[in-house]
Amino acid sequence: METNLYPELGSVENINSRFEAAGYICTPRIATVVYLAAALNKPILVEGPPGVGKTELAKTCASVIGKPLVRLQCYEGLDEAKALYEWKYGKQLLYTQILKEQLGEILDGATGLQESIRRLHSTGDVFYSKEFLEPRPLLKAMEEEHGAVLLIDEIDKADFEFESLLLEVLSDYQVSIPEIGTIAARSKPVVFLTSNDTRDLSDALKRRCLHLHIPFPSIELEARIVTARVPELEQRLTDQLVRFVHAIRDLDLKKAPAISETIDWARSLLLLHAERLDSRLIHETLNVLLKYEEDINTAEDKLSGILRQLETP
Amino acid sequence: MAAGSDQLLAFIKFLRGKDVPISPADSLDAIHVASLLGYADREQLKEGLAATLAKTRHEDVVFSEAFEAFFAPTSRTEMSARTPLGSQQDDPSLVSQDASQPGNSPASGTGGAGGSPLEELAKHNDEIAALLDQPLVKALTSGDEGALAVAVENAAAAAGVDQIRLFTQRGQYMRRMLDAMGEEALRDAAIALENNHAAAFEEVQQLRDNLRQRARDRVERAWMVHAQGETEDFLDGALAEVRLGNISPHQMARTRKLIERMARKLATRHGRRRRRTRRGQLNVPATLRGAAATDGIPFEPRWKRTERRKPQVMAVCDVSGSVAAYAKFLLMFLYAVQDVLPRTRSFAFSSILGEVTQWFAELPVEDAVNKVNRFYGGATDYGRAFSDLSALALNDINRATTVIILGDARNNNSDPRLDVLAEIKARCKRLIWLNPESRTAWGTGDSEMLQVIRHCHIATECNNLKQLERIVDKLLADSRGT
Repeated sequence: METNLYPELGSVENINSRFEAAGYICTPRIATVVYLAAALNKPILVEGPPGVGKTELAKTCASVIGKPLVRLQCYEGLDEAKALYEWKYGKQLLYTQILKEQLGEILDGATGLQESIRRLHSTGDVFYSKEFLEPRPLLKAMEEEHGAVLLIDEIDKADFEFESLLLEVLSDYQVSIPEIGTIAARSKPVVFLTSNDTRDLSDALKRRCLHLHIPFPSIELEARIVTARVPELEQRLTDQLVRFVHAIRDLDLKKAPAISETIDWARSLLLLHAERLDSRLIHETLNVLLKYEEDINTAEDKLSGILRQLETP
Repeated sequence: MAAGSDQLLAFIKFLRGKDVPISPADSLDAIHVASLLGYADREQLKEGLAATLAKTRHEDVVFSEAFEAFFAPTSRTEMSARTPLGSQQDDPSLVSQDASQPGNSPASGTGGAGGSPLEELAKHNDEIAALLDQPLVKALTSGDEGALAVAVENAAAAAGVDQIRLFTQRGQYMRRMLDAMGEEALRDAAIALENNHAAAFEEVQQLRDNLRQRARDRVERAWMVHAQGETEDFLDGALAEVRLGNISPHQMARTRKLIERMARKLATRHGRRRRRTRRGQLNVPATLRGAAATDGIPFEPRWKRTERRKPQVMAVCDVSGSVAAYAKFLLMFLYAVQDVLPRTRSFAFSSILGEVTQWFAELPVEDAVNKVNRFYGGATDYGRAFSDLSALALNDINRATTVIILGDARNNNSDPRLDVLAEIKARCKRLIWLNPESRTAWGTGDSEMLQVIRHCHIATECNNLKQLERIVDKLLADSRGT
C-alpha cells in the first residue's frame, strides 16, 4: 500500500483539521470514511440528497492533498469511448494514407511473400499504440504520476452497463485495452463516486466501495458550515438564518433547500447588507432558497409562525 | 485483537440474521477497518464499520440499531440498574453499608450491624456457612465480576446455549445453565429458610434473582446472535405460504416488509438487464474502424443498437368482497417493482370499472388500496367490467402490454362478455388471469373460469405470496424480452 502517497489523509484528526481549513466541515463519519478510503485504497460511494456537498467533498479533498482533480460527469448513454479511452480514428486513417508510400521502402528488395510479411511484422502495431490513444477521464486518472482525485459524478445517471465497465478501475486501479494490454495506475488515485439515489446501483459496484451517506446537517453543523463559507456574515444572523432554513425543511416541500442553497442565501443577505431576518427581507429573497413557485407559496403562508418561533430560542 | 475480531464476526452474523447481506469480502474489509481504527473509540468504529457493512440507507438504519444493541454497555451495568443487589456488587465497598439500610429489601433492616442476615445466620448454621463458602455464592456475595463471567460462560458452554434456535427455547436453556452453575444449592437454601428466617430468605432470593438475570442475558444474547435471523426466516417462510385471504391485520406489517423485500430482489435481478440505447444514431468509431479495411471508405455504416423496451402492465383487479384481499397484495407487489415496471396502470372493478392509477401515484400504496376497496367494492359483474375496460383502455393495449386480471371469475350467472376478453387477448402481448381459488374449484357453481381459460395466455392459481412472487418474476422476465 502506498500509504505515504497522501500523508494529508494519514489520520482522522488530520483530515478534520485540514478539511476545515479548506472550508469543508467534516462530520465524524465523513472524516472516518475518507481516512479509511486512503488507508485501504478503496473508492468512496457518496450518497445523499442534492446539494449536501457530495461533489464539494471530492474537490476539497483534491485541494487538501494538492493533486489534480479528474472529473467524469455521468449521463445516460455514457460509454467507454467517452469514459475510458478512444482511438484517434481520424489520425489513424490519415497516417495510413500518408504512409502508404513508405510501404514500398520497407518492402524494397524483399524476396517472396514470407520475407515481405516478416518485414511488415517487424514494424510492430504502429497504428494501435499509445500515440493513437486518446485518454478519457478514467485512463487520465490512472496515468497521473503523483496521484490524483478521481470524481465520478452522478453515477446513477449512467446506464447499468457502464457500472460493469467501472469495476476493473475501482477494484484493481487498471484499464484493459485489448490492442495494448493492461495499463495499471502509476499511483492509485483517491476515488469518489456520487449518487443522488435515483436508482439502485448494482451489488458488484457497491461491494467495491466504502459507503458514505451524507444527510442534511444538524443546526449546529450547518451554522459552522455557513460560518466557514461566508465568514463575513454576522454570527447572530447566521444562526438565525440556519434555524430558519431548518424550520423550512420541516415543511412539506417539493424540494427542500440544501446546504448549497443556505450558503447562497447567506451570500445574498451579505450583499444586501441585511442586519436581521424580517418578513420583508425573507419575502424578497426566498427565491434563492426555494426553487418552486408552490414551495415559495407554502413557505410564505407559514412565514409568520416560523419567525415567531425564531424569536423564542 | 483476536477477541475483538471474534466479536466482530459474531456481530456480522447478527447483522446477516437481520437480513443485511454481507459477503466474506465485506467481512474482511470490516476486519481491516477495525484493525485500522482500533476498538477504543466506539463512535469512530461505528462510522467505519457502517461504511463497509451497510450499503443502503435502509441497511444503515438496521446497522445502527444492531450496533447499539450488540455493542451495548455490558449486561453487568444494565443489571445494576435493574436490581439493587447488582449495584452493591459493582462496588464491593457498598455491601456492608447497603445491608444496614432499611428499605432496600423489606427484611434486611432486621439484620445485625455486623453483616448481612445471611452472614449472621452462617455463624450458627453450618449448612449456610458451607453454602456461603461455595465459589459461585462467594463470587455473588463479594461481587467478583470476573469469576461470575467465567462461571456464566462455562455454564453456557455446558448447556450448549449457542445451539438455541427458537424464541420459545429460552426458558429451557436458562434452566440448564442455572443447573450447570449449581444454582440448586441456593434453591434448597431458599426453601429451608423460607419459613423461619425472612431476612436471610430475602437475601438468598436476591442472589438467585441476580444469577437468573445473568443466565437470561446470556441466553438472550445467544438467541439474538444465532437464532433471531432464523426465526425471522421461519416466520417469513410460513407467511409466504399462507393463503393471502387469511393474513390477519397484525401480520400486515411483516407482510409489507416481506413484499418489499421480494420486490427488491426481483427488481435488482431484472432491472440490471434493462437495455437503453438510442435509436438510429451512427456509431462513428465503429464505422470508421470497419472502414480501415476498405481504405477509409465506409461501405458499412454501423448503428448504435436500437432496442428500447417499453413494457407496460395493466392490472385489472376484482375488488368485490371475496377477492379484495388478494387484489390488495397484487397491487402492493406491482407498485413495489415500479423501478422496473414504471408504466403500470391499474384498474379496479366490482360491477363498474375505473382506472385507479392516479391514486397510487398520489397516495402510499396501502392507503390507495383501502381507497380502492371503499370506492369500487360491491357485487361482481365481469361483463360490465370488461366492456368498461375496453372503452377506457382498449386503444392503449398493444404488443408491449401485459394485462393481468385478478378475479375468481364468479359472475352470478350473467353474461361474462368473453368476446371482449378475446379482443383484449388478440391485442396484447400476454393476458394473465390470476385466480385465488384453487384449481379444483374452477368451473363449479357460477364460476366461468373454464370458459375464461380459453381466452388467456396464462391462467393460474394465485393465493399466496410465493405464487405471487413467481408470477411477478415471470412478468419481469417477459418484459425483458420485448
